[in-house]
Amino acid sequence: MSLADGVPHEAVVEKTVSHNVKERRAAWILTGPALILMVVILLAPILVASLLSFTNYSLGNSGFDWVGFRNYEKLFTRSTYAKMFVATLTYVVTVVPISVGLGLGAALLINSLGRFREVYKTIYFLPVMATLLAMAIAWEFMLHPSIGMINRTLEMGCGTFLERIWSFMANGCAGHFPVWLGDKRYAIWVISFIGIWQGFGFNMVLYLAGLTGVHRELYHAAEMDGARSAWERFRLVTWPALGPTTVFVVTISCIRAFQVFDTIEAFWPQGGGPNKSTYVMMFAIFEKGVQQNLIGIGSAITMVFLAFVMFLTLIQRWLVERKVHY
Amino acid sequence: MTRDWWKHLLLILGVIVVIAPFYMMVSYSFKSPGEIDRGEGGFFGRQELMVDERCVVRRDPSRADITAAAPRFPGQNDRDIRDALVAEAETDCSMRPVVFNYTMAFTEAPLLRYLMNGIIVTASIFLIQVVVALPAAYALAKLKFWGRDAVFALVLFCLLIPVHAIALPLYILLAKLGLTNTYAALVVPWTISVFGIFLMRQFFMTVPDDLIDAARMDGMSEFAIVWRVMLPTAIPALLAFAIFSIVAHWNDYFWPRIVVTGNRDLFTPPLGLREFKGGGDGSFFGPMMATATVIVTPLIVAFMLAQRRFIEGITLSGMK
Repeated sequence: MSLADGVPHEAVVEKTVSHNVKERRAAWILTGPALILMVVILLAPILVASLLSFTNYSLGNSGFDWVGFRNYEKLFTRSTYAKMFVATLTYVVTVVPISVGLGLGAALLINSLGRFREVYKTIYFLPVMATLLAMAIAWEFMLHPSIGMINRTLEMGCGTFLERIWSFMANGCAGHFPVWLGDKRYAIWVISFIGIWQGFGFNMVLYLAGLTGVHRELYHAAEMDGARSAWERFRLVTWPALGPTTVFVVTISCIRAFQVFDTIEAFWPQGGGPNKSTYVMMFAIFEKGVQQNLIGIGSAITMVFLAFVMFLTLIQRWLVERKVHY
Repeated sequence: MTRDWWKHLLLILGVIVVIAPFYMMVSYSFKSPGEIDRGEGGFFGRQELMVDERCVVRRDPSRADITAAAPRFPGQNDRDIRDALVAEAETDCSMRPVVFNYTMAFTEAPLLRYLMNGIIVTASIFLIQVVVALPAAYALAKLKFWGRDAVFALVLFCLLIPVHAIALPLYILLAKLGLTNTYAALVVPWTISVFGIFLMRQFFMTVPDDLIDAARMDGMSEFAIVWRVMLPTAIPALLAFAIFSIVAHWNDYFWPRIVVTGNRDLFTPPLGLREFKGGGDGSFFGPMMATATVIVTPLIVAFMLAQRRFIEGITLSGMK
């Protein structure tokens, strides 16, 4: 190798090195703001909440005492918080399967149609777009015990055969129909119903997207193999093919269900429903932590909440990564 | 079609349940209080002239009014003049229920202000999210640097955290900084969208390296590449992300409810509606539903106009 060749070679090396340095510097400048914000807005608060959950801190107080696990102890012994867990889990366990099921059902029905697909799709998606708080107020009028559309519609059934075959109708016609939101037997189910109403269109759209990925040949193959009925084809082809979609839909429905707040705050600004039957976790965080300034207990609820949600997401990721088709 | 009738039957039943509250909301916003109470008048109500009682009370003639009006009613005593004035006020104050409801919605509370706040907040959130996320996404997708995998792992971890869940510590942080009841409080927690970073990074991975190398040959800095080369290629993905972000924050109620207390000038539309509900008496169903309709309509109309894009945007999170 001649000397003349060496010079440009070295220059190239030097240039790549300086280029690498420049690229590294640019990279850190470009990611810097995002990194700082991630740490300050997302990570630091978790740390702060986990520390505060061991104190009796209140905003405005200069100091605080460490109280150990007392906040968590309260959380798992007091009846109010027992009601909180019951309400949250009842809501999640009701809303998730039904809204996923309805989403899948609607997607399958719509997908099998030739006409009007877009119309149904648009209408079912409306509640997802609409401001939930506004719709909650609309639902509150619908459920109004005397002038609401629901009880008015039920009253129309009075004096017909329905009264004889359905004891709920008979009771309603004899006395009065439920007051829905004011009744602790119905409150959580009404809230769940609204949650399902609002969320199933979202699931439907995800399932419709998932269905476009199922190959037609698979159905033919299944038919060859003797899967004659529609149910057999669904069980053998559609459902397994929708596995990844289902994992995602269930997780996101769970996370959204855990975060229910708007409807509950709109219906019962104080106290979380009749006999605390709809005292869900987000409302508890808001009431204890923000309104009553009991930061310690509010932070403890926050930590339990985060644990639930992160656990769910981790399960989802694990399932996705293992590419489980069940 | 004939074979599918049961499918249509089921789907139409679903449509009725889904539409019912929308139907009722819009219908009530057209009707007079009496029609709402008695449940009559169909969808549009009968639109008979109604008298706004509060307007009449406000115009209740005083002694001075009667004296001032005396020349217009020559030869009548005060009582007759008073009756005539009240009758005049009633004519002036009568209007169609639909006009009454929507005027009340805008005059009873500063609804325009709330809508403006909604626009300011959602727009600032989206713009800041893009300014923060786009460069980071580019660096993570196209630049080689020590620590890149760690940063990306952090992004993936942060995807696990729903911002609503950490609202309490964020609220404490903002309260300590004296920022509650400011626009900043409404915007700050949402400035970082890890989902946006993730999404744009996945998108940038598909952009050919040649494009970037060519730009570097032209002497563009990395910063210029982000905004002048990558941004234009990312428009479709950004549009979907914009819909995702705007819908979420226009409709958000939880976070504004926490950081805005009492200062009506900062109310976002959902907060304004909530205030209306809390303060209104029973006869205000019509105006309240008019307010609700006004708040819900912009997104619904936009959705109707660009359905495909909206569905794409909202379900973005499903395309991971």
